[in-house]
Amino acid sequence: MSLRQLLSRLPRCLGASGPLRGPLDTISSVISWRGQSSRSPAQWNQVVSEAEKIVGYPTSFMSLRCLLSDELSNIAMQVRKLVGTQHPLLTTARGLVHDSQNNLQLRGLVVLLISKAAGPNSMNASCQNYDMVSGIYSCQRSLAEITELIHTALLVHRGIVNLNELQSSDGPLKDMQFGNKIAILSGDFLLANACNGLALLQNTKVVELLASALMDLVQGVYYENSTLAKENRITDDIGISTWKEQTFLSHGALLAKSCQAAMELAKHDAEVQDMAFQYGKHMAMSHKINSDLQPFIKEKTSDSLTFNLNSAPVVLHQEFLGRDLWIKQIREAQEKGRLDYAKSFSSWEGQLYAFQAYESRTEVDGCICEGALDQELYLQRKKK
Amino acid sequence: MARACNIHHNNSRYVQASQRAIALIAEMIHTASLVHDDVIDDASSRRGKHTVNKIWGEKKAVLAGDLILSAASIALARIGNTTVISILTQVIEDLVRGEFLQLGSKENETERFAHYLEKTFKKTASLIANSCKAASVLGCPDPAVHEIAYQYGKNVGIAFQLIDDILDFTSCSDQMGKPTSADLKLGLATGPVLFACQQFPEMNAMIMRWFSSPGDADRARQYVLQSDGVQQTTFHLLFIQQDDYISSRVSNKKSGGKELLVFPLFPS
Repeated sequence: MSLRQLLSRLPRCLGASGPLRGPLDTISSVISWRGQSSRSPAQWNQVVSEAEKIVGYPTSFMSLRCLLSDELSNIAMQVRKLVGTQHPLLTTARGLVHDSQNNLQLRGLVVLLISKAAGPNSMNASCQNYDMVSGIYSCQRSLAEITELIHTALLVHRGIVNLNELQSSDGPLKDMQFGNKIAILSGDFLLANACNGLALLQNTKVVELLASALMDLVQGVYYENSTLAKENRITDDIGISTWKEQTFLSHGALLAKSCQAAMELAKHDAEVQDMAFQYGKHMAMSHKINSDLQPFIKEKTSDSLTFNLNSAPVVLHQEFLGRDLWIKQIREAQEKGRLDYAKSFSSWEGQLYAFQAYESRTEVDGCICEGALDQELYLQRKKK
Repeated sequence: MARACNIHHNNSRYVQASQRAIALIAEMIHTASLVHDDVIDDASSRRGKHTVNKIWGEKKAVLAGDLILSAASIALARIGNTTVISILTQVIEDLVRGEFLQLGSKENETERFAHYLEKTFKKTASLIANSCKAASVLGCPDPAVHEIAYQYGKNVGIAFQLIDDILDFTSCSDQMGKPTSADLKLGLATGPVLFACQQFPEMNAMIMRWFSSPGDADRARQYVLQSDGVQQTTFHLLFIQQDDYISSRVSNKKSGGKELLVFPLFPS
């Protein structure tokens, strides 16, 4: 059932402040799915470690080769000088090292899982000479690493600050300049390693795929930056389809194209490659939707709710209300200081949309029909 | 270089589309690195115009550099030759390592010059050397020719950088398109400075603290102009030029394409 059909059956409750559980009862799978998104971090860790067992080793050490290089110890030394400043690079670095909840190596893990799920192509004998460990080719493992390198590089580059927009609260200018310098160099270093890794794969189609994924990612980050809502500023009128396009660029493209590339490395045909692409795309998009939903579905009623005016639920909200009414409501809320109305309404819309994304994933699931993939989807369902 | 190799191999004066693509890709990689370098150095002008970071801010500048790099990689993949991809991705790695070399410094005087040459190679010469090599790979299967193309490009690159370093001292900003004494202001010790240091040992301390004390950059500039730092660098340059000329003659003995490769490199 598509989102539109679903909506036509349910009453439209514009701006209702009460809970909207009634309509949701008709979508029981969504409720149980939604309920599970409030599971504990410990369970997420368990899911990740089970997935890592499937692929053969803990993926958090995937970039060990990269980590042992001189340049990275140089970078680490320089980043240490940033301690005490306000530069975003410090936050990024901290997140990468400490925060296992923050999808450390998630993309790489997904690429490995899909490689294992699809397995070798029984019809094409040209891969017989490649070495395989735990059901995954070593070139596919390299690819997973490369995906993570690209993701991390852009994560680091996102942390650059515009020097002419600095306020006095940001600290001394030279700290920010230094932070920018290190951020650029580290990002470039990671990208250079990614490019070298790609060259070693000796497959021009894969290089092209990942290079175009990088291009998409850069464009996505550019849109992210331009539509970033400043405090008390209303965002532009972007409809949900534009949101989809931009989110695909900034979040979906990398995973989608890496999954496709993993299939190409195993010499699977175009149909399988396309399925892998769709899988990666929907996986990444639904993950983004899930994180967009978080501010709206938390049970606590604490009033300092911050969420991005460009997140999916809010964009959908705008589309349904019409721009003028939406602006009016946002301004009202800014005066009142609380956003309960948005919370309850958007959570309903957001979940319906997320359900649609999940539906598309299950189609892909049906086509591929591999035991390991089913298991991985089960694990992902538990997480979400 | 493409034309010379093509002539050598099969007497064709035609430059292949893939070789032309190498030229484009090399320019794109170079541009991407310049955009990033300008943010790193907080530069306000380049080639006589404002820098990307001054007009549009640092965030967009960094993204722009990444975009150009990705476009170059896509173009590289579309050539369809895995050897060429390996050669040019090496350039990207060298560019980054060159920047890192610039962050560090060596205590020992003799090590310093080797460090300077290595940094120069990685930052400037590697691109030209490897692009020449890639063009020759596409034009001709002989590995000896590839090696000559590489050496030629390397020498051109190092020569170019040495001239650039000399001009930083001897010319004025209008001619250069970027401010002069820029290297000193960034704390970098280039060829002329290192040679001058042999005559003025007090420069050692300045080099070690990256010319960070007030007045350091100006004093260093005076020392260099008084010493024969520029002359010694020029001498080094002529040495390389000669090397270059010989290697280009060797490769083109058969084909008469040598007139294409004699590069006039006179330091002004």
